[in-house]
Formats: sequence, structure tokens, C-alpha cells
Amino acid sequence: MFDLMQINPGLWVIAAGLVCALIPKTSATSYIRKFLIIAAPVFAAWLIFQIYDSSEVLGGKLSFSGIELTTLRIDNLSVVWGYLFCLAGLINGIYGLHEKCRITDSSALVYTGAAIAGVLSGDMISLFIFWELTAISSVFLIWKGGDRSYAAGIRYLAIHVLSGVMLLAGAIIYAGANGGDFSFNYIGLDAPGGWLLLLAMGIKCGFPMLHMWMQDAYPKASITGTVILSAFTTKFAIYALARAFPGTDILIWIGCVMTLFPVFFAVIENDLRRVLAYSLNNQLGFMVAGIGIGTTMALNGVVGQVFVHVIFKSLLFMSIGAVMYRTGTAKASELGGLFRSMPYTTVFCLIGAGSIAAFPLLAAFVTKAMILSAAIEEHLYIPFLMMLFASAGVMEHSGIKVPHFTFFAHDSGRRVKEAPWNMLAAMGIAAALCILLAWPWGGYQMLYDLMPYEADYKPYTVDHVVFQLQLLFAAIFAFTLLKRFKLYPAERRAEIIDADWLYRKLGLNIVTWISAMWTRLGAHTNRLRRSTTDALGRKLYQAFSPAGTMSEGTPSGLPAVLTAGVLVIVLAIAYMAGT
Amino acid sequence: MALMDYIPEWLLIHGPAVIIVLPLIMAAVTSILPGRKPAWFVAMLVTIICTVTAFAVAIYNLKTGVDVYPMGGWDPPHGISLLIDALNAPILVLITLMAVVSLVYALPATLAEVEPKKRAPYYAAFLLCVAGLLGMVVTGDAFNVFVFLEVSSIATYVLVAMGAARDRRALSAAYNYLILGSIGATFFVIGIGFLYMETGTLNMADMGRILADLDGGSRVAKVAFGFIVVGLGLKLAMFPLHNWLPGAYAYAPTQITMFLASTATKAALYLLLRFVFFVFDPDFDYVANVLQFLLVGLGVIGMLFASLQAIFQTDARRLLAFSSVAQVGYMLLGVGIATAASVTAGYLHLINHAIIKGGLFLAVGAMWYRFGITRTADVNGLGKTMPWTTAAFTVSGLSLIGVPFTAGFVSKYQLATAAAANGWWWAVFVIVLTSVLAIFYIGRLLLAAYFQDAPVMEDGQVCTRNEAPLLMLIPMWAMAIASVLIGTNILGASDLVVGASERAANLLLGLGG
Amino acid sequence: MTDRSSVDHSAEGVHPAAKPFLFLGNENVKRRFIWIPLIGMLICIVLGMLYPQKHPLPIEKYIPGSWAVYGFLAYSFIVFCAPVLFKLLGRDESYYGEGGLPDPDYSTEHLHEEDH
Repeated sequence: MFDLMQINPGLWVIAAGLVCALIPKTSATSYIRKFLIIAAPVFAAWLIFQIYDSSEVLGGKLSFSGIELTTLRIDNLSVVWGYLFCLAGLINGIYGLHEKCRITDSSALVYTGAAIAGVLSGDMISLFIFWELTAISSVFLIWKGGDRSYAAGIRYLAIHVLSGVMLLAGAIIYAGANGGDFSFNYIGLDAPGGWLLLLAMGIKCGFPMLHMWMQDAYPKASITGTVILSAFTTKFAIYALARAFPGTDILIWIGCVMTLFPVFFAVIENDLRRVLAYSLNNQLGFMVAGIGIGTTMALNGVVGQVFVHVIFKSLLFMSIGAVMYRTGTAKASELGGLFRSMPYTTVFCLIGAGSIAAFPLLAAFVTKAMILSAAIEEHLYIPFLMMLFASAGVMEHSGIKVPHFTFFAHDSGRRVKEAPWNMLAAMGIAAALCILLAWPWGGYQMLYDLMPYEADYKPYTVDHVVFQLQLLFAAIFAFTLLKRFKLYPAERRAEIIDADWLYRKLGLNIVTWISAMWTRLGAHTNRLRRSTTDALGRKLYQAFSPAGTMSEGTPSGLPAVLTAGVLVIVLAIAYMAGT
Repeated sequence: MALMDYIPEWLLIHGPAVIIVLPLIMAAVTSILPGRKPAWFVAMLVTIICTVTAFAVAIYNLKTGVDVYPMGGWDPPHGISLLIDALNAPILVLITLMAVVSLVYALPATLAEVEPKKRAPYYAAFLLCVAGLLGMVVTGDAFNVFVFLEVSSIATYVLVAMGAARDRRALSAAYNYLILGSIGATFFVIGIGFLYMETGTLNMADMGRILADLDGGSRVAKVAFGFIVVGLGLKLAMFPLHNWLPGAYAYAPTQITMFLASTATKAALYLLLRFVFFVFDPDFDYVANVLQFLLVGLGVIGMLFASLQAIFQTDARRLLAFSSVAQVGYMLLGVGIATAASVTAGYLHLINHAIIKGGLFLAVGAMWYRFGITRTADVNGLGKTMPWTTAAFTVSGLSLIGVPFTAGFVSKYQLATAAAANGWWWAVFVIVLTSVLAIFYIGRLLLAAYFQDAPVMEDGQVCTRNEAPLLMLIPMWAMAIASVLIGTNILGASDLVVGASERAANLLLGLGG
Repeated sequence: MTDRSSVDHSAEGVHPAAKPFLFLGNENVKRRFIWIPLIGMLICIVLGMLYPQKHPLPIEKYIPGSWAVYGFLAYSFIVFCAPVLFKLLGRDESYYGEGGLPDPDYSTEHLHEEDH
């Protein structure tokens, strides 16, 4: 009955989270929490290692009222996400060791566990459950960001619950057309419910115009909260897309647009955590486009990109988080010159920036190129150029803007302490991985071994290195040149409106207008009602209005009269039938 | 069913009698018990036994079909019989379950709502009320129905009056309820008298047979029908005979409000079904006309009027009470259309509404318990101060509106389909319209709870989080989760209630048509 | 972290590990930094002509240093878009009226209302 190999490893992490939530909050138990937060992901990873045997493993089968559930499926695709999320959970755990907050610890664990369990579940019902659980558990991390995050958290929750409901609806339509088979495999757009499922996943991985929850909520979460959030939700959605819609042409274009538009927002945004959220969105675009291309090389590239992306994106968020932890702000206009007081953080941030910009010897170099090469091989020149443009954009916002305005640029005069040891340790691990996974002699091969298909791509060829460096050097040169001629715009504090304006401002205004109209209408209908009821007779009014006779107490004769009246009507109807 | 193995044989056979007799006897015992906890404990034990028995009897009935239990060994039509069939078995289970759920809630709630020395009598009266409701549902004898109707009603008047510890207006509300309830019961018993005159029997199955033989009977039967419909209409708060309801619901102790809202009107509605389809027959002209013109007409007017009234209420419980009147309209509409699908929908809405409204009243009661909130204007910021309670309220509220994946949607959808199948598109329109009205009166509370700031207290402090006690949260979440389970058909919950409703409707129309 | 104990935060507050790199803040260094990417770019363009791409785009064969040109233009385009976009999309920070501090446990930012 109780077989460790049949239970989804993510459930143990969720259980650890629940334990954290339930044990009382004292200084002694905080060590238990910290132990769990480190041990749970490690344990889950060990379990995945034990269960996976390089072919598809199905397990944990349950049956509810005729619906077959496969709660555990580890195959060459999901195992990558499984390991990755465990690794991210561990790094996040180390980064958050200084947190005294029980809610953060427990919701981080439940959230991590739900993401692990979600990618390792083999049917759409389990997927839906964990899909919603990731949203519900993570919203607490947003709310820990204080007053300003409350409304954003509500919006985040609403959008994600909506996405989950769409997923469920799509799953039901899809399974209904397939004889009640809920197993989660390739779906494609032609299948019934396919569009609904695509839209549900699209919300969660930030398709253009469905993306704004990310830039809205992530920068408002607490410092550790943002780091944790950035790792799971969207990558979970990427997994679902890679599973259900590989080779769907429209994803190429959606992905390319996704790589482009955040570039323009990121360049004018002042809040660096929001810049990184845009940058996250842009990175997801590469993955979506890769899934759309759908060749084995592209999918390998997507898997590799997801793996390294989680690491270097966390690294960037962690370094900005550390800065914010020490200085109390993440606004570019308030920062600058911090390399004097936070040198280690600076180095880590630079490694993260170099990784995301795909410098040779750093993480993204060995993976992003696979997606670009796959586009060329399929003769998708326009998408290729769009992605290349976006690569220059990545260099601009994540590669240059984030480290430059935080650690260099104009000295803000802030002299703070270096980040706490646990943050440095977490950043150090991530930075080491960024280098290790791109190391030309035995490093990137480890990453390629994880990929679902045989990877025969060679990243370190002379032409690839040279042309990538051309792009990056040209971008840096352009930056320095524009700086020299004072053409580079200064950072200014502002709220940059995005598509969320549609509901945060326009929608709100419409609703306010309607409710104002409703109040007036209410007043009018009240008056109308009063005049009508006056005409009908004072007694009727007294009986029916909220403050009428009934609430005063003594029963008026009216109800009795009414009863008699109804009787008369009944009898009249009955008699008429008789004649 | 594994459960059946643990139920002794005699309980299955005598179960219908046990569920009436046990609470009646134990009510007497409870009234003399000292203190709060023993009385509560006894009441809890009795209702749990009743629930198990009701479940067992219902499942037994599902297997064996209609089960007639002759009281004291006297066979019907001469003796009094108890009857279990597909129509009343689910109602029995509903009543007993709601009794248990409300009792769980009562343990903390009575502390604040009932005077200490009245607590043992309170539980005794509650058991009497349960016994009366179960009796009027389970009996197969028309006069017995009246007796049990009075037992439950009189117990209810007392229980409503006990709310006086919280709000003195409970007294006048109880008095009002007493007058109108008595009028209803009198009408009902007059109808029974006429029927006896016509048929010479009091056994309902027998009445039905004789009336069918007489092809509807003479004018006496018509008068009897009129009196019974109006009498029961008053008991089930059919518009415009609902005047007693808002007051009684608003000022009774929370447990009683919840229990009344989810069972008392439902039991009366069950009786209406029993009489309209089982004793009388929709094939009789006068029954068909009354169904089509009166029940449907009043149902629809009630839906609209009561929904509008609910929108303008300033008291949260009165708002929910008016919403109840509107929901009764849905059920009457389902009964009035009188097709298999519509009666199924009406019956389904009966069950679902019991669950939904139960959850809502419990949540509002908890808000009063913590913050003394009765007015709709006071719910500001409850999303932060009582997040769990507000969340339960939200789930049940959405279900009341009829949002997909909730119980309310399932039954409203069924009702709309049934009306459409009958070609009554205007009824579909009214259903949609009143659901929109429901969005307004529920949404008004939700908006204030989530998007307004918590009020500032007299000492200048902002209200902090003060969640309801666990024993209150459990029942209200049980209701909320049940409504989601029914809405999403997880664990087959929806199939279960829809199946029960279909069996009930088939029984009614099978016998009637 | 051995260095934490020895840090002197009072005077300059500069981290000891950062002391050898303080020259990075020097204005002259900053000005001359431009040569590094320029020279790097030129070297790579030359190397790119010696080792052409295996799978170039159809027109790339005719443009020496094609990725450098593309990168330079793309980057400049993005930056030149910024002021226009800022005019279009930038609003006051209190635009949405959702006040509060970023992570109030640590925040040093002032509440916005006091700014104006």
C-alpha cells in the first residue's frame, strides 16, 4: 500500500510546508523550519533519482468515480524540471535562511512542492490541482511585501485561478472528446479544448497581453518572495506547453513577440525588480518560440534554456534582493556605485548578467544558441532576426542596465554592509553553476546529457563564439557611445503603464462609473418605488419596505389578509378548471 | 456499501420509527440536564444516531424500493404508517445532516446567543424541532403530518424567541411567526379535514388512490387542495406569504436560522410535492391550473420581488432571508413546470440551496460573533480581519449566484434547461435576471469585505485579525466545500445529488402520470 | 565570512575586498572604458571575416561583421525609443494610488505622498 516509489516526490515537499505552517512559532522551531526548507528539496531530488530509470515511469494511479489519475510520471522531459525545481528550492532555501517569517517558509515549501508535483503528474486533473496550488500558495509570498502588494496579490490570485479554471474546462472538453482519458500528453490546437488549454498555459507563462500579472506582482513581493516566485510558476507553464503543444506554429510568433516587447518596457522602467520581471518575460519568449519550432534541437534548447535560466534569473533576482535588503530600495534612480561596499554581490550579479546575455563561458551561451540555430535550420529567418534583436535587448536591460545602475554608474553615496552570508552562499552556488554548466571541457556536456533528445550540438565553434562576441561587444560599445554623448536617458522615478492599465485604470474607472450610476439609479428606483407603492396604498408599503411593519414586531393583519387572498385565487383557479 | 455491514438489522427495519422517537424522548431528557455541555453532548449524540440511521435507511431504500413501516404493527390504511421512498429519503438525510452541522456550530455560538439557564431547554427544543421535521417528512399519514408540523413549528417559535438574548426584536419576530405559522397550520388542517370528508381516509397513499378513482373528486377536494396549497405555501414562505420569514431568520440564534433556512422551508416544500404529485395528481385540471398559474406565477414574481428587496436590505441576515424567498421561487418554478426535468431541477435546488444558504448564514453568524456585525454597512475589511470566514462566505455566495463549478450553477442550469425544453424562454430570462440581481446583493457584501479598509475602532486602532473559532469554521467550510464538490462533481458528489433528485422526480411523475 | 569582523564601516565604508578596484569609480577610467568594447568588436569583426558563419542568413555573406552591425543598430534603436515610450507610458508613481513601501521590513524609501 505505502510504496515510496509510487508517491509523487513533490507531495513530500508540500507536506514539509504544512509541517512548517503547523508547528508553533518559537525561536527553537525556526531551526526545524530551516532544516525542512533545506532537506525537503534534497529529499525530493533523491526520490526522483531513485524512481527514474531513463524510461517513462508511471505510478501512483488512482481512480475517482471513473476518472483514472496518474499522479506520478517521470520521463525524459519531466525529470529535468523535477531536478531543476528541487535545485531551485534548495538555492531559494539557502537564500531565505535569514527570514524569521513562518508564512514565507511554509508557503515557499508548499509552492515549491506544488511545482515539483505538478510537473511530475501524469494527468490533467492532478495538473490542474497543482496548477491552482502553486497560485494559492505563492500569493502569500506576494502579500508579505506589505501594504502595496495586497491588491496586486488579489489580482495575481484572480488571474491564476482563472487560468486554472480554463485549464480544467479545457481538460474536461478534451477528455470528453477522447472518451474520458485525462492523461496529459501531446494535445495540439486541433484537439477540442486545445485553444482553451493553450490560453490557460499562456496566462501562466506570460503571453503578450496576458503577461501583466508578472510585472505587477513580482516586484511587489517580499525580497525572498520575489526570488522564490521567479523560479517556478512560469517554468511550470513552459513545461506544460512543451508537453502539450510542441511544434505549434503560432507559438513561434507569440514567442518572438514575447521576446521583443518587454525589451522596450525594461529600458524605461526604474524599479530594477520590475526590469528583471520584464527580462524574465523576454526569456520565456525564447522558450515559447523554441517550443513552437518544435524540432528536437529546438526542444533540447528549450529544456537547456529553462534549466540555466532558472539559475541565472534567480541569481539576478537574488543580487538585486541583496541590494534591496541592505539599502532598502531597488529603484535604479536611488542606487549606484555599490561595488565599493558590496563587491561579492557585484561579481555575482555580473556573472548572472553575463549568463543571461549569453557571453561565451557563461550559461545561456550553450543553450540559447540551440533555439536560434533551430530557427535557422527551419529557415525561419524573420523569427530568427526578431530573437537576435531581442538578444541585443537582453544585453541592454539585464546585461548592462541592472548591474550598471546598481553597482557602477553615479555613486549614490550609500555605504552599506555586504550581503549576509547565506545570501552570498546562495548566489555563490548559482554563480558557480552558471559557469559550470557552460564550461567547454566537460561542463556543458552534463547539461546536454539531461536533455530529452540526443544532443549533437557543438556550442564552442569559432564562428559561434566570434559572432556572439560581435553582438555583445557592439551592444556594449553602443551603450558607452550613447553614454558619452549623453543620449542614454537618465533613470527617472515613474510608474510605467502596461497592459494591466486596461483593468487597473480603465476597467476600474468603468466599474466606478457603473457603480456611481447604480447608486443614482438606486436612488431613482427608490423614489420610483416609493411613489408607486404610495399609489398602491400605504399599508402595502409598510409591509414590504426594509424598515416596514414587519421589523417593528406586531403582526399587522395584512399577512392574514394576503393569505386569505391567495386562498381565494387558488379556489378561483381551481373552480374555473372545473367548469 | 461498507457502512451497511455495521448497521444492525433491527435498525434498518425500525429505522423510520427510531429517527422520530429517539429525539422526542431525548428532548425530554435533555431539558432537565444541568448545564450547557451535557445537553449539547446529548443532542449531538442523538442527531448523529439519527443521521446514521437516516443514511442507512436511505441506502436500504435505494436497494429495496419503497418501504412502508406500520406503526405498532397496524397495517395501513387503518394503522398509522411511516414511509420511506426516493422522495423523502434524501430530505431525511439532509435534515439530520444539517442538524449535526448546525449543532457543531452551536457549541461556541450559544455561548454568546442564548442565556445560560436557557441552554438545556434550547437544545431540548432543538431536538423537538428535529423530531417534528423528521416526523412530517417520514410519516405516511396526513393527520400525522399536521401533528408533526405543529411539533416542529411550536419548537421553532420557542427557538426563535430565544434569540432575544441577542436582540429583543426576536420576541416580536417569534410572535409574528407564531401567528402566521398557526394560520398556515390551520389552513393545512382544514384542508386535511375536507380531504377526509371526500375520501374517508387519512392515509396519504390511500387518499391518492381514492382521489384517482373519483377522477379528482368533487368540489370538496378542490377546496381541500386550495387550503393545503395555501397552508403549505405559508410554511414554505411562498411569495407573498413570506412575511414571517425575514424577521424570524434575522433575529433567531444563528444555529436556528441556519437550520430553519436549510430544512424547515425545505420540509414544507417536500410536503407540497407529496400532496401535489402523490395525493393529488397534476392530471386533475384544477391541480394543473394551480401549478401552472399560481405556483409558477407567484414563484416568478417572488424571485424578482424578493431579489430586489434583498438588494435594498441593510441587515445582512434579512438580505439572506429575502434571497431565500427568491430561491423558493426557483423551486416553485421547477415544481410548477411539472416535467421530469423541471421537478428534478426544483428538487436539486432544494438540496443545493440548503447547503448554500446554510453556509452563508453560518458565515454571517460568525461575523456577528466576532465583531457584532449585522448591518451590511459593517462588513468593510472583513477580508483581512476574518479571512477564512470571508472566504467561506465568498464560496457559498458565488454558489448562490450560480457561478460555474458551484452547486448553485448545477441546479440553476438544470432549471433553465428544463424551462427551455418546455419552451418557456421567458422563465430562462427570469432565472438569468435574478441571478444577476444575486450578483448585486452578494457582490455588494464581497466588495466591501475585500476592498474596503478595516474599520477604525474607538481607541483609534485599526481592527486586527480576529478569526472565528474553529468549531464555527468547520461547519461553514463543510458547507462551502460541499457546494464546490457538487459543482465540480469531485468524488461524484454531483452525480449523487442529481441522481437522488432524478429518482425523486421519477417517483413523483411515475406515480402521477 | 572572515572579512566581516575586520570591516571598518565608520570611515569610508568601503569593503576591503573592493579597495583594489576603487579605480573603477575614477572618471578617467570610466571615459576610457569605451575602448575595450570598441577594440573587442573590431577584433571580432576581423575574426568573423576569417572564420565565416557556417549557416549565415542569405544576405549576411555580403555584410562583414553582420552581427556587430545588427547588434549596434538594435541597441541604439532600443535606447532611442526609450524617451518616446517614457513620454507615452510614464506616469506619476502614485498613478494607481496603491501606496505603501516595497518590503516595509527593510525599506528606506519614503512614502510617496511626502515627496510632493
